[in-house]
Amino acid sequence: MLEISDLSAGYDSKDVVLGVSIDVREGEVVAIIGSNGAGKTTFLKAVCGLLPVSAGEVRYEGRSITDLAIHEIARAGISFVPAGRHLFPEMTVAENLGLGAYPHRPEAGQQSVVFDLFPRLAERRRQAAGTMSGGEQQMLAVGRALMSRPRLLILDEPTAGLAPKLAAQAYESLAALRTQGMTILVAEQQVPLVLSLADRGYVMETGAIQLQGSAAELRDNPTVRRAYLGVA
Amino acid sequence: MTAAILDGIVLGLQFGILGVGLTIMYGLGGVLNLAYGSMAVVAAVVVSFSMRSGLPAGLAVLLGILTAAGIGLALNLTILKPVYRRQGEARVLLSLILTIGVAFIIDGFLVWRFPIEVLSLSIGGNPVLILGVPMRTGSLLASAITLLTGGALIFFFRATVTGRAVRSVIQDEVGAQLCGVNPATTRTLIFTLSGALVGLVVVMQSMTSPVPISAGFEITILALIVTVVGGLGSIRGAMLAGLILGVVHAMSSFYIGSYITTIILLAAAAFTILLRPSGLFGKHA
Ligand SMILES: Nc1ncnc2c1ncn2[C@@H]1O[C@H](COP(=O)(O)OP(=O)(O)O)[C@@H](O)[C@H]1O
Ligand SMILES: [Mg+2]
Repeated sequence: MLEISDLSAGYDSKDVVLGVSIDVREGEVVAIIGSNGAGKTTFLKAVCGLLPVSAGEVRYEGRSITDLAIHEIARAGISFVPAGRHLFPEMTVAENLGLGAYPHRPEAGQQSVVFDLFPRLAERRRQAAGTMSGGEQQMLAVGRALMSRPRLLILDEPTAGLAPKLAAQAYESLAALRTQGMTILVAEQQVPLVLSLADRGYVMETGAIQLQGSAAELRDNPTVRRAYLGVA
Repeated sequence: MTAAILDGIVLGLQFGILGVGLTIMYGLGGVLNLAYGSMAVVAAVVVSFSMRSGLPAGLAVLLGILTAAGIGLALNLTILKPVYRRQGEARVLLSLILTIGVAFIIDGFLVWRFPIEVLSLSIGGNPVLILGVPMRTGSLLASAITLLTGGALIFFFRATVTGRAVRSVIQDEVGAQLCGVNPATTRTLIFTLSGALVGLVVVMQSMTSPVPISAGFEITILALIVTVVGGLGSIRGAMLAGLILGVVHAMSSFYIGSYITTIILLAAAAFTILLRPSGLFGKHA
């Protein structure tokens, strides 16, 4: 579904992501793990059009989307939930969700799918997004991303800034999406959490893929255990 | 007293529409358009000339408004292009310099070619009593158009998919793009709308008092005051600030005299800014 080959990207002509290749097949949940500063955010932003790609190619459903603008990638069926969330702070929950369906009017059916996943959003539908807690904003960001019925959901650290209980809840919601058949690519530092959800994973360090394998393989890998699972 | 308040509300709605036209350009494009009033005067000249050459008033007005809208569109597609390639303060400054240049060129040309041109849409008929206040047909018509336009604007920004997309770009451009909104298309639409709004306001003003060829800068300054008091980029801020300043304007010309209203208007604006440095609905208040 998504094939990324030898992608490089960075800031002001200095690349921090160096020739990364990743693929995601339909129905899969794929994790990108790696410590802070590894290049996960830079990589996902380049894939989704938020940063220019300096080399390599991104193919989605057989066609190149490497040089498309953010909104074109979004309309192609990829929903990206960035770490910064980028909600509309002065709009209500309902209005934020409505824009997720742009350029169409929001469908009641899809809105109730989101409210089933995040009942909290239904309670808060008239509240301004900017006045909600971090956990609620994260729910709204995911909910808004789902309103367009995307075929691929890409998330950058959905647990950033969340207390452990809320982080676990966020992954329960993603697990629910997964059972509905959603294809998901997620970058995460909370390695145990993400490996409990993912089918496969990649380990990124200093802008390159160091290791890849099934979630089970990564969980058992001595390097991963030492570096990310806190096991001696 | 009632007359002053009624006048003030209608005038305030006009101020509000004027401010909305300027503030949406700032909110969307980071552009403070100092050629704003000059676009309006071009519209006035077009209306004036079309009527003199025999066109019916309605058609002439439409032509004038379309001209102002066309200038907004043209600015967005030409000299503002380099502005969008810059960010933050550099963007605002470059837009100021470029649009003030456009204003000088338009104003200079108009004063040179048509030094004594005045747009005055006087509409006949006997005064009508509204809440016991006699109103002239011209100001009644202007009030009706103002109310309709204000209502249409609120409906557009609140209830239509496109209007909400415009607000989304103002609040978070990347967020809007992630939802599939194309900011460039939105900007083109809004700059055209902005031109149409300032054209419409000048036509409405000409129904109650003549608009001279040199009015451009005054209109720009008035729109700037409304925009700054409302909070740069805030649509509801501009509407509210327009209403407040309109009522202040009408009350002070009723009780004190029109010679001093501009000063009172400026004082009211300065007072608001002192209390709330980023305006009524400023982003960083
Ligand atoms: N806006 C930026 N400008 C310059 N360098 C940046 C910027 N953002 C991140 N970097 C650098 O790029 C590298 C990768 O960062 P990032 O992609 O955020 O990693 P991660 O998401 O894995 O924590 C880091 O060395 C970081 O310092
Ligand atoms: Mg990151």
